[in-house]
Amino acid sequence: MINSYRMTRAAELGSLAHFRDFVEEVCNAQGIDEDTAYDLKLAVDEACTNVVQHGYAGMNPGSIMLDMTVSEGEVEVRLTDFGHPFEPSSAPKPDITLPLEERSMGGFGLFFIYETMDAVDYVSGEEGNTLILRKRFEE
Amino acid sequence: MFQFLQRKQEPDKFGPDPDQLSIRQLLDDSSVPISIKAVLNLPEHARQRLLRVLLPPHLLARFQIKPMTWRGPDGDEHVRVVMRPESGLLRVEARHAGGAQDAFYSVELQDNALNGIDLNLLVLNDPMAPRFDTDFDEDGRQTQFGTLRRNLKEEERAMAAGLAPGQVRSGLQASRDVFQNLETFLAMMAHYSVFLEPLTYASAWVFERRGFAYVRGHKLMDDIQREFQDGGRLRKALDGSTPFRRPEQWRTVRGRAWAVHDGILAEMDQTWDGLRMVKQIGQHAGANTFPDAVY
Amino acid sequence: MDVVVYDERQATIIAVEGSIDALTADDFLQAMQAQISGGRTRLVADLSEVSYASSAGLRAILVALKESRQLGGDLRLAAVRKGVYRVLELSGFNSILKIYDDVETAVASYDEVAQA
Repeated sequence: MINSYRMTRAAELGSLAHFRDFVEEVCNAQGIDEDTAYDLKLAVDEACTNVVQHGYAGMNPGSIMLDMTVSEGEVEVRLTDFGHPFEPSSAPKPDITLPLEERSMGGFGLFFIYETMDAVDYVSGEEGNTLILRKRFEE
Repeated sequence: MFQFLQRKQEPDKFGPDPDQLSIRQLLDDSSVPISIKAVLNLPEHARQRLLRVLLPPHLLARFQIKPMTWRGPDGDEHVRVVMRPESGLLRVEARHAGGAQDAFYSVELQDNALNGIDLNLLVLNDPMAPRFDTDFDEDGRQTQFGTLRRNLKEEERAMAAGLAPGQVRSGLQASRDVFQNLETFLAMMAHYSVFLEPLTYASAWVFERRGFAYVRGHKLMDDIQREFQDGGRLRKALDGSTPFRRPEQWRTVRGRAWAVHDGILAEMDQTWDGLRMVKQIGQHAGANTFPDAVY
Repeated sequence: MDVVVYDERQATIIAVEGSIDALTADDFLQAMQAQISGGRTRLVADLSEVSYASSAGLRAILVALKESRQLGGDLRLAAVRKGVYRVLELSGFNSILKIYDDVETAVASYDEVAQA
């Protein structure tokens, strides 16, 4: 049984809470455990924040389309935007073993996406940019 | 589901020759997107079959126009096709009578710079409804839907009659069929999206309802929604200073659209500009910048 | 997101209610920085009412942590909930910060410092 859900909102920081609430509602409806739900909320939040802060930077922000598909023990999330392509693997990853004094402020968003999700893919073309996240969960 | 989203970016996705598409190429690979320019360069009869898709048969039947021939019962031609292959532009107009001033249906599609297709124009006019001459000023110059210059007297009359900015007659209540046919046409051409720039706040809202998302301008639409609320800058500017800024206009899509057309976005240091929308064929984005809206 | 600030013996409590994300993290940071620039550098962030934080929240914590420690103080966390703790763990922040089960214990940790 496959269930699909969709939400489309403006790429602005005020939409982050709406996307998180949406992910939470879908997880509740599908009986997904709260730890998995938190990870999904985090990954979606971080990805949307990147789109807001980088993808549509310097432009009249367009939409972010969030699609969630839940099938046997796996959630697939697709986030589509129409701004600058933002290749996740091109950004620096933070060194989490560094002591405080040497820690920098950036880089954690993408790091969290990679740490919490089982698979991360990115497709970019004339029809927009889509980040595809997959996470398995126990039913 | 979103089959196209697995497709990685490929340099020559249009195949060997985007300018001239032979019947052979059309037959060989149905997944290659075809441009408007390529359609226009097809042999006449093949092209004609494709163009028929743009004219919903039920809509034509309302005016006794035969879907196969595009002629009326008198044998007269009712459909005009404008083709400019060098600009990748196609325009189709249908009239209820040969000499009618306004087409009851106009659609214009054009190749854009990113290998996609733009919907430049989609107009449905009820030819029996009263006409408001908002498209010409007192000196007979074109107003370009009121964007270049305005005919304020006619606009006031049009607004009072319930029209939205840019309209010269009320609509035909046929847009759902028209959109379905448009999407079918694009699907036949293997395009997964169509783009447009909404002329007015009202058109943007209509396209949202039809499932379009925003390439640009979603935040602007949200800002407009917010500023029309109690205490917002746009609400405050609905002070009756012009006939298009009456206090109650914040309540409806049309009312807001007239105020925006009248330049009220200057109160937010904005203009109605730079918006661009996209529809994924067969999908509904679910964008909703004006919840519980009354048209 | 709401922030309430009050003093408790040696410490200053910053109690946050709501989610800390890229929209709200600045308010959180500014509340802490206002205390630091006022000379109150022994901070306790009460996160008992925070069910969600993202990397933006981490950034605010990191900045306030560095600034308070540079002035001889500290930022200690109290009552961190499960999801927020996960974020601290993933980033390795749990090993560079002091985290307490509740506000009282976090405040008490500053008492020892003052007496030492």
